[in-house]
Amino acid sequence: MPRFPGLIHCLATVSVALGMSAPTMAADFPSKPVNIVVPFNAGGSHDLLMRAFAPAFAKALDGNVIVSNMAGGSGTVAASTLAHDTPDGYKLGYWSVTVSTIQPQIKDLPYGEDSWTPICSVAASPTLLFVNAKSPFHTIDEAVAAIKAQPGRYIYGSSGPGTITQLASVAAFSGLGVLKDVRHLPFQGSGPALQGMAAGTIQFYGDTELLMQGGDFRPLLTFSDTRLADLPDVPTAREAGIEPPLDQLYLWGGLFAPAGLAADKRDALSKACGAAVASPELQAFAERTRTVLHYRDAAAFDAFYRAQYSANAKLIDAAGL
Amino acid sequence: MLELLPQAIGLIMTPEGLIALTFGTLLGIVLGALPGIGSTVAVAMILPFTLTMGQAPAILLLLAIYAGSVYGGSVSAILINTPGTPQSAATCLDGYPMAQRGEAGKALGWATQASVIGGLVSAVVLILAAPQLAAFALNFGPIETFALILLGLTCIVSVSEGSMRKGLIAGALGLFLATVGGDPITGETRFTFGQFPLIAGFDLLAVVIGVFAVSEVLIRLSGGDDGSASSVQFRGLVLPRLREWKGRLSGLSKSVLIGNVIGILPGTGAATSAFISYAEAKRSSPRRARFGQGEPDGVIASEAANNAVTGGALVPTMALGIPGDAVTAVMLATLTLHGVTPGIRLMADNPLLIAAIFTGFFIINLLLLPLGVLFGKMASPLLRIPEAWMLVLILMLSSLGVYFVRGNPFDLIVMAAAGIGGFLLRRQGYPMAPLVIGMVLGPTLEMSLRQGLIITNGSFATLFIGHPIAIGLLCLTLLALSLPLIRHYR
Repeated sequence: MPRFPGLIHCLATVSVALGMSAPTMAADFPSKPVNIVVPFNAGGSHDLLMRAFAPAFAKALDGNVIVSNMAGGSGTVAASTLAHDTPDGYKLGYWSVTVSTIQPQIKDLPYGEDSWTPICSVAASPTLLFVNAKSPFHTIDEAVAAIKAQPGRYIYGSSGPGTITQLASVAAFSGLGVLKDVRHLPFQGSGPALQGMAAGTIQFYGDTELLMQGGDFRPLLTFSDTRLADLPDVPTAREAGIEPPLDQLYLWGGLFAPAGLAADKRDALSKACGAAVASPELQAFAERTRTVLHYRDAAAFDAFYRAQYSANAKLIDAAGL
Repeated sequence: MLELLPQAIGLIMTPEGLIALTFGTLLGIVLGALPGIGSTVAVAMILPFTLTMGQAPAILLLLAIYAGSVYGGSVSAILINTPGTPQSAATCLDGYPMAQRGEAGKALGWATQASVIGGLVSAVVLILAAPQLAAFALNFGPIETFALILLGLTCIVSVSEGSMRKGLIAGALGLFLATVGGDPITGETRFTFGQFPLIAGFDLLAVVIGVFAVSEVLIRLSGGDDGSASSVQFRGLVLPRLREWKGRLSGLSKSVLIGNVIGILPGTGAATSAFISYAEAKRSSPRRARFGQGEPDGVIASEAANNAVTGGALVPTMALGIPGDAVTAVMLATLTLHGVTPGIRLMADNPLLIAAIFTGFFIINLLLLPLGVLFGKMASPLLRIPEAWMLVLILMLSSLGVYFVRGNPFDLIVMAAAGIGGFLLRRQGYPMAPLVIGMVLGPTLEMSLRQGLIITNGSFATLFIGHPIAIGLLCLTLLALSLPLIRHYR
């Protein structure tokens, strides 16, 4: 029996922390609480999703999970901080498509495509391009014809520069060849933008189905691979003549660890994530909040994330960001 | 709306509903009074606890926290010269001098009654005319917002005690601090000097707490006396009698109106309304000469307006599903969690829920009066602790609150730096209120002007053409600036 069990335990912890212990056993993982960092304020949609996700995730991991918030800089403050953290599997970030693939390509940030070990995707809502219900445009063709007839007259809005809402409109108008004929008006968040839409200041806006249903709006096209169940008459972007990769745009989010996470830990986390997404609790939450859950395991999410990174590079280029 | 009243009251008068109302309001007052915990953080803190509650009690709890925290900010503003929330920054200007004079209880009494009246009137307006007012608010686009913010900036003139030059410098500094971080139109980062943490800009709360609370502590420590070293005597709240309101009612109604209108409009909030209302009172009150030295009219103007904003902000939130500020945005998220889709059909699809929310909001504002008195009793022993401990307590609470907002340790550095900067500036006679006005209004000023210029294709000359509301506000701005000159030279 060792005389200094505390000391040995302490040394063992230090050596693990320094990365000196050779094989970390996944069976021991997690031995302390896993922290999920939400890069936005408490009370936002990402925060609420993760707080509903955490208990199911903890159960599947057979450990404790805590959710913390670190807001600022459109989510980049948290991502920049976590990117240089130790990849021990105890600190994960819930990054959206914007935080992980768009912001690092438009700002000078201390993280990029290779800063992460993708764990799993949790949610993915397709985006739509829509107009006011009182708008004269009933189809995307009518809108394009009007834009061509009066270049520079029409304005599309966004919830801010470099957001998914801007890229949705950019994907549509760039894919249809009229991007230079429309103007962009950013707002501070989607609330003011929707008000601008209702007031007629802007004529086009792109966002998820949930947001669109909050107002009196008419969808023109959807950026998904198939038509949406609730909106069977709305054509997909592909049907409207928009070529890949601009024809699909999802507001997705998933868990990331700093790059270099051991494969066994990654797989344990990814498996638990899958179980959490499938859990009745989270399914019920998604039903109530109309969140579109979409699980991908570590390998599939890694491929998806990298494909998105380069596809969004084209969008960012088109947007002139 | 009114015919649903009995049913709505039935929905509220459940054990859960009553606890939400009373406990929520009291907790809101406490959280608002703690320096650094603003209304948004207070509401977000409570949100997880509402998940297991019924729809109506959940929303009522958040509303109670909201209204309570807006009022609670005035308590610390008056007693320790530290606005508990930025909305109460204008309350310090006359509330603290009153407290120093030994009238802390009276100052709180004025603040409480003004808050209750402001909140109650805004609740009535909400119940009677939310859809109509929301439709009006839609006319308020970026160009109108820009004109309103210009009018708001004239407040810097009214709160510049002593030296106008120094006030304007402090205001400009506030405007500049607001530009650091991300460009709102292009998304590029600017003025960060390569320092990564600055990418998110300076947090308003961290700066407000720094320049008010931390600098106050430094001033007291240095013994450098701006007359504030005397400790405040406070033995509970003293409500003003009805006859003492004589001659103050027209000022009160003006403040309530200002708060209501600004609450309904998008893009601005309680802090803006409190400053505009304070400036208007200072211009028109018969006792304007005593403003800044502990004049109750100043406290009334600030507190009636910031509480009137709460009901106003609910107008676009409930009628259009468009949040009026960050707090109401969290409320809409809560509705979503309870399976109610916020949006323009919210009132039509859930009339009973909305009636219960509106009625509950009215009751919450009534409760502010007894609960404010109760909180005054609870808080008074705190002020008898030795000053040294008090200073430590203020610093600790401020740091906790500031860290809590974004979970970013950098905000603590910002708070400390703002405290030291504020200390040095105050020693040189620079007022801090203009700096806060600059920081509050700066982002909206820039955003609305640049949005307006996108709409007019970059033309300043045609910015206001076809925008009569904006032109009206512009005329008011010119009037506000020229009246003191005319008065001076007559």
